[in-house]
Amino acid sequence: MRRVFQIAAAVCSALAAEPPLVIQNAQVLTVTKGSFRGSVVIRNGKIAEAGEKTLVPLGAHVIDAGGQYLMPGIVDCHSHIAADSINEGSVSVSSMVSIEDVLDPEDIAIYRALAGGVTTANILHGSANAIGGQCVVIKLRWGKDARGLLFAGAKPGLKLALGENPKRQGYAPAQGRSPRYPATRMGVEDVIRQAFAEAKAYRQAWREYQDKVARGENAIPPRRDLRLEPLVEVLEGKRLVHAHCYRADEILMLLRLAEEIGFRVKTLQHVLEGYKVAKEIAAHGAGASTFSDWWAYKVEAYDAIPYNAALMLRKGVLVSLNSDSAELMRRLNTEAAKTLKYGGLTEEEALSLITINPARQLEIDDRVGSIEPGKDADLVLFDKHPLSSYAKVQKVFIDGELYFDRDRDLSARPEREQRRKALVEREREAEKKQPSRTRDRDTERPQ
Amino acid sequence: MKSATTCLSAWLALAAAALPQTVLIRGATVHTVSGPDIASGSVLIRDGKIAEVGVVVKAPKQARVLEAKGLHLYPGMIDSATDLGLAEITSVRETVDIREIGDFKPQLRTIIAVNSASEHIPVTRANGITSAVVLPEGGIISGQAAVIHLDGWTWEEMAARPSVAMVLQFPVIQQTPAERTGPSERRIPYAEAKKRYEARLRELDDWFERARRYQRARQAPASGLRPDLQLEAMLPVLERKLPVVIHAVREKAIREALAFAERQKIRIILAGARDADKLAAELKAKDVPVILPRVLELPLNEDDPYDRPFTLPAALHKAGVRFAFATYSSSFSRNLPYQAATAVAFGLPYQEALRGLTLYPAEIWGLNELGSVEPGKLANLILADGDLLEVRTQIKHVFVRGKEVDLNNKHTTLYEKYRNRP
Amino acid sequence: MRRKEFPVYRVAKHVTVKVLAGVLWSVPLGAEAPAVYAIRGARVVTGKGPILERATVIVRDGLIADVGAQAAIPADAWVIEAEGLSVYPGLMDALSSLGLPEGSPATQRRPEPPSSAEAERTEDVPVNSAWVRAADLLNPAERRIEAARNIGFTAAATFPMRGILCGQGAVIALAGDRPGEMVIHPSAGLYVTLTTRRGGGFPASLMGAIAYLRQVFLDADHYEQARTIYNRNPAGLKRPEYDRALEALLASPRVLLPASTAVEIARMLRLAAEIRRTPVLYGGHEAWRSAELLRESGVSVIVSLKWPERDRDADPDVEESLRVLEMREKAPATPATLAKAGVRFAFSSAGLTDRRDFVRAVRRALNAGLSEADALRALTLHPAEIYGLSDRLGTVEPGKIANLVVTSGDLFQEQTEIKHVFVDGRKYQPIAISREEGRP
Repeated sequence: MRRVFQIAAAVCSALAAEPPLVIQNAQVLTVTKGSFRGSVVIRNGKIAEAGEKTLVPLGAHVIDAGGQYLMPGIVDCHSHIAADSINEGSVSVSSMVSIEDVLDPEDIAIYRALAGGVTTANILHGSANAIGGQCVVIKLRWGKDARGLLFAGAKPGLKLALGENPKRQGYAPAQGRSPRYPATRMGVEDVIRQAFAEAKAYRQAWREYQDKVARGENAIPPRRDLRLEPLVEVLEGKRLVHAHCYRADEILMLLRLAEEIGFRVKTLQHVLEGYKVAKEIAAHGAGASTFSDWWAYKVEAYDAIPYNAALMLRKGVLVSLNSDSAELMRRLNTEAAKTLKYGGLTEEEALSLITINPARQLEIDDRVGSIEPGKDADLVLFDKHPLSSYAKVQKVFIDGELYFDRDRDLSARPEREQRRKALVEREREAEKKQPSRTRDRDTERPQ
Repeated sequence: MKSATTCLSAWLALAAAALPQTVLIRGATVHTVSGPDIASGSVLIRDGKIAEVGVVVKAPKQARVLEAKGLHLYPGMIDSATDLGLAEITSVRETVDIREIGDFKPQLRTIIAVNSASEHIPVTRANGITSAVVLPEGGIISGQAAVIHLDGWTWEEMAARPSVAMVLQFPVIQQTPAERTGPSERRIPYAEAKKRYEARLRELDDWFERARRYQRARQAPASGLRPDLQLEAMLPVLERKLPVVIHAVREKAIREALAFAERQKIRIILAGARDADKLAAELKAKDVPVILPRVLELPLNEDDPYDRPFTLPAALHKAGVRFAFATYSSSFSRNLPYQAATAVAFGLPYQEALRGLTLYPAEIWGLNELGSVEPGKLANLILADGDLLEVRTQIKHVFVRGKEVDLNNKHTTLYEKYRNRP
Repeated sequence: MRRKEFPVYRVAKHVTVKVLAGVLWSVPLGAEAPAVYAIRGARVVTGKGPILERATVIVRDGLIADVGAQAAIPADAWVIEAEGLSVYPGLMDALSSLGLPEGSPATQRRPEPPSSAEAERTEDVPVNSAWVRAADLLNPAERRIEAARNIGFTAAATFPMRGILCGQGAVIALAGDRPGEMVIHPSAGLYVTLTTRRGGGFPASLMGAIAYLRQVFLDADHYEQARTIYNRNPAGLKRPEYDRALEALLASPRVLLPASTAVEIARMLRLAAEIRRTPVLYGGHEAWRSAELLRESGVSVIVSLKWPERDRDADPDVEESLRVLEMREKAPATPATLAKAGVRFAFSSAGLTDRRDFVRAVRRALNAGLSEADALRALTLHPAEIYGLSDRLGTVEPGKIANLVVTSGDLFQEQTEIKHVFVDGRKYQPIAISREEGRP
């Protein structure tokens, strides 16, 4: 009975939704529909209207942007924040593990990235193995629980990794460990092909079982295999493949292997030599999510060039820029600006690399990535043009809700610091009063 | 015949490039850094130096005239902490010469390990960085830092100061080993870590004491002293001729480093000091300059304001502490100006940011010939099509010691090559 | 009055100790132990209903025979004059490894490592020892049993604790001559951890451990399904293999899942719903933040009395985060918050064997707003309920197992003495008190 009331209450509150929000007097960079000085009207977490002249709805909450720049929330196609573990590096195929199981909504990196204008991120498994774990798309709803971070409706992903990282356990195993296959790029291909062959056999086993059941035969269902099921989902187009790769040869290998197996690589991640095989990437239809200018940190990154993004884009590849780092994630806007410098992209193209393009790569472009009516009200207000080195994030909205506000952040600092100090002092006082407890001799006991 | 002419002209061009040129840069916005900007000014380069700066400068005969209308002229930037030339591919040990074995190695010289053919050098230079400090990082006393110009056939030619400072990694209390090599290396108790730390600190003081005795013995007549290369290398430090770069990150280490400097009566420059804002007043009082930690960095502690690394330069400036920007890298050295730009976004006056890239490092490192656009200084100059700190700005010309250098590099070459892939 | 009775008793004990070199310390007075007791005139905190002043508790043949002011004292009873004393239900440790000493096969031996071909198959990893049963491995002489009893614990849920699926726990009485005699219930639940494997095997990460659990429980369901189908009509079907680990999973009435922080609590509740098993969460220090979620889920929590403390070995110059500081400060408020929200919780003593430490730990929860009645429940009736044993444990009621604590006063006061502890109707004398007070 109480349940019924709760549901009713939830429905009521949704109907009696919050008053509309209007951000007016902003330099609006829609990314997909040009730029203008005007307003954005937000209703029920969605962009209701965006234009030079919009009517302010009755009872609306109005924010005057004072001529500052409003852009869509930044989408990071490659991040490892907000997770309690990243790599299940023990096996070469770890598709049974999922980042969603270990999301940590209290990772401070979420807030820091939010303060850099990021609103959506693809949280990936690491690159320790040829087939890594399941990835998850989140919104940076700081303060919500793990469930509250999930980007509802976004397709799940699967991480693949090529090149140096997945073969490292083979040629340079960690101390005290035996080598793990594979140790070469040849072996990486083999592991992937093998795993998908297993997945196909698994799918076939289920089909045969279902046929038997349909014919009324006595049959025991196959054992469910959580390692192979994600691969079956890839084969069926229900899960997106994000493949860590560097060198042109391995990129080409994966494209051809995927074509042979029968799936499309959704994104090539890092793809630092993508510019060498841009034509092939475009023909396959894979997206490319790369760094702006990282290079020379390992052999396979020695031919990396800052022109990579622009070159691939010009050759017809869907390109995005990602962070792969909690630090870089705070300034993807200036990372995008580097493509103005290296390769001469237009401002709109540069911004698309961190907004609509990654959204397309994650198949969430109907929801985020640009300022258009009907899309989620994920917006960032910068004090200057976001492609300027001097731009600072002032406010960040997700689903129309204010998640970061620089003024609020600044004014909350003294109190937080005081609270910290008070807690430390209180604890030290308490310790002084109580002598150190007898050490627990029993290590076998629960926490 | 035709090919002979082509050959000749090519040779002439090459020869001209190799010789110090006389160049008049005309009509640029000149950011002198030491003085006011000149809206449409000219700079004359002769014999590798800046000969004249002004609104109107007459072009000498045979001078190459570079029309720079719409361009901005700045002094070349100085990256105050790099491993340029010492590290090619970070993950490949064979290409990395940053950390030597042993705790006290003052005799080591980075300058002789600078690979003048490193791909990092032209890449970095192409974004307007014309000089860099190259620091060693091993042990406690790591060796001697050098200042290089980012042009030259050999390290000898590149050297601006073969030995500019001694580098010291200040000991810290470490409960977990810095580089975890296996599960066997476990956390050690605090008391034990503290004991080890104190021992290292004592060792460090002892080392200086040894050097001092050596110095005295050396001055004494006929002492029969056997030369010691390690201690010998310490003499310029003791004589206060060579400053010591002390790498100290947290408050406690910085505080201890200041005390150490006082105790040993040495000149110091702090590097990597991420807690420098907490000790700004002391740093000012003792006039200790700071090589800024990377501005584009995550905060040190979980509860730090999200922008603490961004506001550190402004905080030090406000307190009157001298500072310079640095990347502590080779592959990211080209992004040096963006460290400064972020500092400007978070409160550092623009002019100060510019100085932190040019004049201040020149002063801190004692490079009187660098850092501003003034007559008599070395012609390390850059011409950009906009504000140097803006990412989108293109660097059009770079002069190192008066010579215009090639802006092509590994990246532009690969770009051109694959852009034209059919 | 009381003093008169004790010295005789104590001398007898000391003689025993000397003769038997302490080995049989936990065996009380051997076979002469009387089977009938009358604890007369005590303040009886029954744990259910009002406190009875000046009541008598009759213990016969290991059970509580009668409780009340009018309870008739049987002629064969040993009478304990308990005027001024208090009788409580015996305490129960909701989560422990009591009786399973380190070095026992339960906690030490592991299955052979799998061959490399098997290593990639999740079900073959040597972190599954679900078939190990605490009840089969009890050692009545295990040293910690007496230590726990001395501070008032009379029963405990005890679990094998190595691996990920560590094994089946048992609820035991904290006294007995033979293992079988001690077992109150042999299936307390499956103890699960999220530890990872060192040395390279799967799972090597938290998400690996979770994925592993998910697969194993699916395997168990499949195992059962396959067996059912096969047994119904084996014709034409390949015989399903017998698997002791899956058998054990299927037989377990509940799973104990680790969850200390709010994030972990939400995470484990989701996992439990997914694997469709009845969970009990243990740890619970940040459950004050999850009270609403826990109430809605109806899941019980075992809160560890070992409150998080500052690592006194940490470098004092390294700043701790507000998050960590707040967790430490607010952990003891968890019980009060859960009580208010109506979430059932029990305490685990978490290895506290010193009475003063134990009382202080409980007092921190009391100071943070927990009522004494709720604290007592968390140490008596609630653990009994969690393990489905409230019909025999947890209160001072006729018919229940005679597990009792007789004290000089309020159980949660430091200066209070534990006078007697009854386990299965047998009386024990805590030695800690005599040692502390330095009496002969």
